[in-house]
Amino acid sequence: MSLRFGITLTALTLLCILASVWSISAGAVQISTAEIINTLFNLDGPKQEYIINRSRLPRTLLALVTGGALALSGAIIQALLRNPLASPKIIGINSGAALAVLLGTLFFPDIALRWLPVIAAIGAIAVAVFIFALAELRPISPARLALVGIAVGFTCDAGVDYILVTASTYEFSAPLVWLTGSLWARGWSHLNAVWPALIALSALCLLLSFRLDLIRLGAAQATGLGMNVRLERLILLGLATLLAALSVSVVGVLGFVGLMSPHIARKLVGGVHRGMLPVAMLTGMLLVVLADATGRVILPPIEVSAGILTAIFGAPFFIFILLTSRSEDET
Amino acid sequence: MSIVLKNINAGYKGFRLKEISLKIETGSFTALIGPNGCGKSTLLKTIARILPTAGGAVEIAGKNIKSERTKAVARKVAVLPQHPVVPPGISVQQLVGYGRAPHQNLLGFKTAKDHEMIEHALKTVSLIDLRHKLVAELSGGQRQRAFVAMSIAQDTPYLLFDEPTSFLDIRYQYEVLDLLRDLNNKGRTCVVVLHDIAQAARYATDLVVMKDGAIHSRGTPKTVITPQTVEQVYEIKARVYQDPVSNTAVVSPL
Repeated sequence: MSLRFGITLTALTLLCILASVWSISAGAVQISTAEIINTLFNLDGPKQEYIINRSRLPRTLLALVTGGALALSGAIIQALLRNPLASPKIIGINSGAALAVLLGTLFFPDIALRWLPVIAAIGAIAVAVFIFALAELRPISPARLALVGIAVGFTCDAGVDYILVTASTYEFSAPLVWLTGSLWARGWSHLNAVWPALIALSALCLLLSFRLDLIRLGAAQATGLGMNVRLERLILLGLATLLAALSVSVVGVLGFVGLMSPHIARKLVGGVHRGMLPVAMLTGMLLVVLADATGRVILPPIEVSAGILTAIFGAPFFIFILLTSRSEDET
Repeated sequence: MSIVLKNINAGYKGFRLKEISLKIETGSFTALIGPNGCGKSTLLKTIARILPTAGGAVEIAGKNIKSERTKAVARKVAVLPQHPVVPPGISVQQLVGYGRAPHQNLLGFKTAKDHEMIEHALKTVSLIDLRHKLVAELSGGQRQRAFVAMSIAQDTPYLLFDEPTSFLDIRYQYEVLDLLRDLNNKGRTCVVVLHDIAQAARYATDLVVMKDGAIHSRGTPKTVITPQTVEQVYEIKARVYQDPVSNTAVVSPL
């Protein structure tokens, strides 16, 4: 595994760098690689400081951190629920965050940007607490837990739809774009609102990968192996919730990344989380950067949301993976 | 060193164990038997602290498991649940490696001793050649052996198994039971929930017969398995005779 892991990790890292360079160069104004290098490293020669520094660089960085965070969140939730179909979107965390942000902007139209991640986190945590309080009160199977999450997610989505329909004024067209999962008009302020927390939480996730392996064996076996299942489940769920919520607060509901990246990673390097998590994270980063950049070049000057593109490109690939994988996901 | 249960009260809504007290002798192969719903699995889960106790105490080697860190308990007792979860994309060797968790820190990096124990466990269950195969691709019998190997790698004096032979065909049932007997002969105390009375009689040194959440009787298979016990516990009339191969009790319903 270690050689395979090394090759995969290197390849994905290179792909992420290439995709990022492309993402900075692509758009209504095409920027050459030389100009990008000159600008980023402050060399002599032609530069494109305004577009790169004000728009595409922060946007690309934001795509990287949120893509990685959503992928990690999905991997954690799939392990916790022992369900390959689970993701932060499926169990309602993303929708909870989205509803909270929408309510926040509805009631406090002048709210500062830096509060949006906090509001999103509150909404997501409310959903997570609700779902897992149920699990604590009555022992229910992970499959049912996922169904409860789906129901809660639909309820939140209904709230989102209601707000959008009833308050469809000019100022609500921006949330509409945001909700589809878009990096449109994202800048340093958005990046600065989330990156320190996202990087810290992602690092913590990677550190705790072994615990995910154990909890993946089911509560009984994990207890038998000396794990404090209730406490660690809570910590891991908290991590997954915050990662997803902070991402949603700035880039909207990029639902598919969290579902798909762990599957791709498992296919590439196997199911041991120490190898799988970093690969899933890089896959998520790559997917979102590619989706965002592609969205800028296909119909300029119109931008197609990254969320739409991850679904369009990801879904066929995802179906292919599910059809070609063996019985290993059946438990 | 033994497992002592004192007035255990545990269970689920609608079913509870009735103040069970029991001493499991060190070095024994103790089989828990009884009809469906008698509480044998519940009792095993309680000993393994998978189910919390509402009253009473479980003492392992003189210490109440509630007062100990769960990781410390995991260095004394290994558990194999009835339906082990097969994780996707995990090889046999990786699965067996999880058995080392109680001996590792939070991050789970393995030492030379860990690798040695994993190797030993894989050899014990004869899966050394299949070590890199995915657990999900194994046959039922191989899969169960892989989980047994995980318990072996945990390197504990006590092994608790909940119906390790269920859903296996006859060859693999006896394969797994022989494996447990070997482990028992090497000094590990085995506590095993079994469905089949004949298998329990054949392999166990000590039988605990349960009914309705309480212990009906206990002792060696010879003394416990009688037509009277079978009638009282399983509510069927049966003849008990000696199996000519193993010279242990076999039950035939009349």
